[in-house]
Amino acid sequence: MHELSLATEVIELAQREVGKRGLTVIEEILIEVGDLSGVEADAFESALGLIVKGSILEGAEIKILRTPGKAKCSGCNTEFDLSQRMATCPGCGSFPSEIRGGQEFRVVSLLAG
Amino acid sequence: MCETCGCGKDGEFTIKESSENDHHHDHGHDHHHDHGHNHHHDHGHDHHHDHGHHHHDKKEIPLNIDILSENNRLAERNRGYFEGRQVVCLNLVSSPGSGKTTILEKTIASMIPRRKIFVIEGDQQTARDAERIEKSGAPALQINTGSGCHLDANMIQLALKKMEVSAGSVLFIENVGNLVCPAMFDLGEQKRVVVISVTEGDDKPLKYPYMFQSSHLCIINKTDLLPYVDFSVETAMANARQINPALEFILMSAKTGEGMKQWVEWVEGLTD
Repeated sequence: MHELSLATEVIELAQREVGKRGLTVIEEILIEVGDLSGVEADAFESALGLIVKGSILEGAEIKILRTPGKAKCSGCNTEFDLSQRMATCPGCGSFPSEIRGGQEFRVVSLLAG
Repeated sequence: MCETCGCGKDGEFTIKESSENDHHHDHGHDHHHDHGHNHHHDHGHDHHHDHGHHHHDKKEIPLNIDILSENNRLAERNRGYFEGRQVVCLNLVSSPGSGKTTILEKTIASMIPRRKIFVIEGDQQTARDAERIEKSGAPALQINTGSGCHLDANMIQLALKKMEVSAGSVLFIENVGNLVCPAMFDLGEQKRVVVISVTEGDDKPLKYPYMFQSSHLCIINKTDLLPYVDFSVETAMANARQINPALEFILMSAKTGEGMKQWVEWVEGLTD
């Protein structure tokens, strides 16, 4: 349900951006979904597929770029990759003190004309 | 959908006074521009993507736009409005049934003699919560999200146009009961308060980390039921602190009044 409202936001965003540039057709859209963005990438992709009909994104190729999470360990200060918010440091087992990456949820680019 | 007149299709939300019996609802749309139709797709054709084609009539447009940027922009406007009027705005979030509305009823009863209180209620359907708030003595505006699962900054901005929030007052926003989606939507609040009840399990913070990460205060409610449930307050707090070391806690029973004084003092402390 929630990913549906996010998909709606993306369609609106795409429509705004092509409108601003006087373009009419989107061939491809690249969306980055970070592993720690709070957005479920598969659910979002399905939701988008369900509601593009009749919108500016109908027929466009939808590419989802997944980026891993990056965190700084609260125990040993090393940086490590994580795909879930609750992962612990592979070195010392502590929880992250700081999330440094993987929280992005953005439209990276469009291929449009 | 409004049961009276059928308004409020999917994707639309309605804002109403709790005592409205007529049809004067404001209909909000999440976005204010037209949904233009795209007539360029011939549905009779197959849509093959032939990688041998030159896409010279299409160009790559780098955007790097945060999808939630529109919400964040409106949230900052709300935040500016509150700061300008010295209104303390708190966003109350939780699972359904943690006791948010009861906490608010008791809070209003306690604070009303000294402080003006306003409430924005969010639920999928009904004005029941807004009605309860009005009975306890504070003006309340109800937002019905229909099929929506969270309040967003746009809804709050529209609600603020309908409800004049006095300078120096406290505005409580009781979000839709949901520990998942509201975490992602900044409303422009000063502080976010997550409420969990002791019947929900002390591992709750680990299961819903985004909500606990984004909150400032955690109220552990229904402490009067502790003798009857397997809930360890220490474990719950430790779990939450793993996600958010700066999270503050108040143990409360809105029913018996335990913790209410500490909570009201915490709220009053923000008004300085």
